[in-house]
Amino acid sequence: MKKEDTVKLISAEGMEFVIDKEAAMVSQTIRNMLTSPGGFAEAEHGEVTFPEISAVILEKICQYFYWSLQYSRGKETEFHIEPELTLELMMAANYLHT
Amino acid sequence: MEKESELIRRCIEAACRSKESVEKWRRQRRTLERLPSHLSQALLRSLLRRRLIFPSLLEVFKHSAEEIDLRGENSVDAEWMAYLGAFRYLRSLNLADCYRINNSAIWSLVGMTSLKEVDLSRCMKVSDAGVRHIISISNLEKLWISETAVTANGVALLSSLKNLSVLDLGGLPVTDTALNSLQALTKLQYLDLWGSKISNKGALVLQSFPKLSFLNLAWTNVTIFLNLSSLECLNMSNCTIDSILECGGDEAPFLKLVFAGATFMNEAEAFLYIKTSSLSYLDVSKSSLNRFGFLADMKMLEHLDLNSSALGDESVEMIVCVGANLKNLNLSMTKVSSAGIGILAGHVPKLEFLSLSHTSIDDVALSYISLMPSLKVVDLSNTNIKGFIIHPGTESHMDSTLTALQNLNYLESLNLEHTQVRDPDLYPLSSCKELSHLSLRCASLTDATLHCLSSLPKLTTLQVRDAVLTTSGLDAFSPPTTLRLLDLMGCWLLTEDGISLFLKKHPEIEIRHEVIQNLSTEQQTISNCPSSSQQFPKISRWNRMQEKLPIPEFFVDQRLKYSREELLALQFSPLSIEYPRETGSVTPNLQSFQRD
Repeated sequence: MKKEDTVKLISAEGMEFVIDKEAAMVSQTIRNMLTSPGGFAEAEHGEVTFPEISAVILEKICQYFYWSLQYSRGKETEFHIEPELTLELMMAANYLHT
Repeated sequence: MEKESELIRRCIEAACRSKESVEKWRRQRRTLERLPSHLSQALLRSLLRRRLIFPSLLEVFKHSAEEIDLRGENSVDAEWMAYLGAFRYLRSLNLADCYRINNSAIWSLVGMTSLKEVDLSRCMKVSDAGVRHIISISNLEKLWISETAVTANGVALLSSLKNLSVLDLGGLPVTDTALNSLQALTKLQYLDLWGSKISNKGALVLQSFPKLSFLNLAWTNVTIFLNLSSLECLNMSNCTIDSILECGGDEAPFLKLVFAGATFMNEAEAFLYIKTSSLSYLDVSKSSLNRFGFLADMKMLEHLDLNSSALGDESVEMIVCVGANLKNLNLSMTKVSSAGIGILAGHVPKLEFLSLSHTSIDDVALSYISLMPSLKVVDLSNTNIKGFIIHPGTESHMDSTLTALQNLNYLESLNLEHTQVRDPDLYPLSSCKELSHLSLRCASLTDATLHCLSSLPKLTTLQVRDAVLTTSGLDAFSPPTTLRLLDLMGCWLLTEDGISLFLKKHPEIEIRHEVIQNLSTEQQTISNCPSSSQQFPKISRWNRMQEKLPIPEFFVDQRLKYSREELLALQFSPLSIEYPRETGSVTPNLQSFQRD
């Protein structure tokens, strides 16, 4: 995997998740950060930090990105969400526009 | 409101799956406090829909919810209100049709300074004592108390709510004196007084509201047409109008006038002195008007309702004068004939909605209608349309007339109920590519109807009522993939088995038919899953809707005659089909209730 094809998402605790850029683009917010012409630091280093999102939630978000890609390609599987994660995940989704 | 994102929707679904899933998150107090209001409101709505909410659970939303809509929720009572009273940021509360709400329930709202909007419409137990609680909400800007038990004395108390801009007092016995005491409400923009006891004397008081732009005086004894300077929308339906009051000054032009069922004593003057050049909405349906010359100046008119008026072909010229901007035209139950439609053709470039039901138009009109390029919705029910024309001299040659509708590239909805159109003449409709709603009702339609409509690519709702459809015809029908509702009421040849079979094959389609009632009781008794409890409110709401429909005289509701047990025993007897019932609707798939 080439470095320019991936992004590093960093959780509140500092946990790092390296995922495909294509998957991260499922989030409108991340897409804007990485593609806006203003030259955000995020776009240059391919790193985005989320001080509000915990590692547990960010992991779930990354899983959702990949699931969403597959779903859009016609693979119909269920995306399971544990009820205890729903509130936090909902807020993260709201922030990430996904 | 912005559309929820996919993941948010899935989270809400997961959070509201069952009582157990609610227990998993309801103690996450910190998170709940930080929840953005639109998310908390969406979650609350979903809990309401799934019947998972109970008063003490409301507490979890008290730091986040700003707008709460509990319209028509039967369970909402004083206990709910006690919790809602603690909502710190609540700005808008809708309790319309919550019949358990009474004066003491409203006590919980006392002193809620964040509240700006309260809707108590049709809360019949709310009276003057309730108004005393409401006036403690000093910042209130919008209040709806139509059809409550509030009297004129209660209305007079509202004068202390100085910030009111919207006040709905519809159906309350508001007197001239009570209205007089409301003069302190100088910010009032919207005032609804339908069915009140206001007379002309009270109506004159209305001049003292400087910002009043919407006024509803329908069903009152007011006979003066108030031409107030600020007024934009006026409703005087079912009033007798004998004079016009000029209020002088630079009058604001009217945007919307409703005179449905009104009687004009001096017709010639009615529209003479008012500025109608900017009027966009005019409803004079069922009114006493005989001449329509006044239409000529209303160049901005978009919506014109002349339903059940005295309009005939000779006045169609007047509609032509204002045709340039018209989007919506209702001519049902008028004396307009095909010749009148001919005059209109070519002069209504923007017309989207056209109703000609219960007129004497025939197939000739169809070719004129095809010259109205923007039409989306056309109602041709109860007319003399046959679907073909026989040219004189060539008796054997029939020209199909519905082909003319193929020129309407935007046609979405077509109503041909109670016309004489038969199967072979329907074929031209199969090339109306945008058609999504089609209504047919005729005893001479057969299985061929279904066959010729199966190729419509966007059809979502199809009504084929009172037709001689057979079970094998239904079985052979391959519906368009977009179809969601198939209304087969009165198709007496169809059997319960035939319909069940169709539902099994096409679970995404909802069928309406008399025998469906049986199928639904069966489902309710069998299924114990939580979603079955949701069906009851849905169905009762549906029944309530049906009550308003005219009921044929032979109608006997069998549910009154038999007990539930007897009915369940009866459902398998073939005789049950012989009593046509107007009700009967069920979504074949329980899942879809959870989805909507």
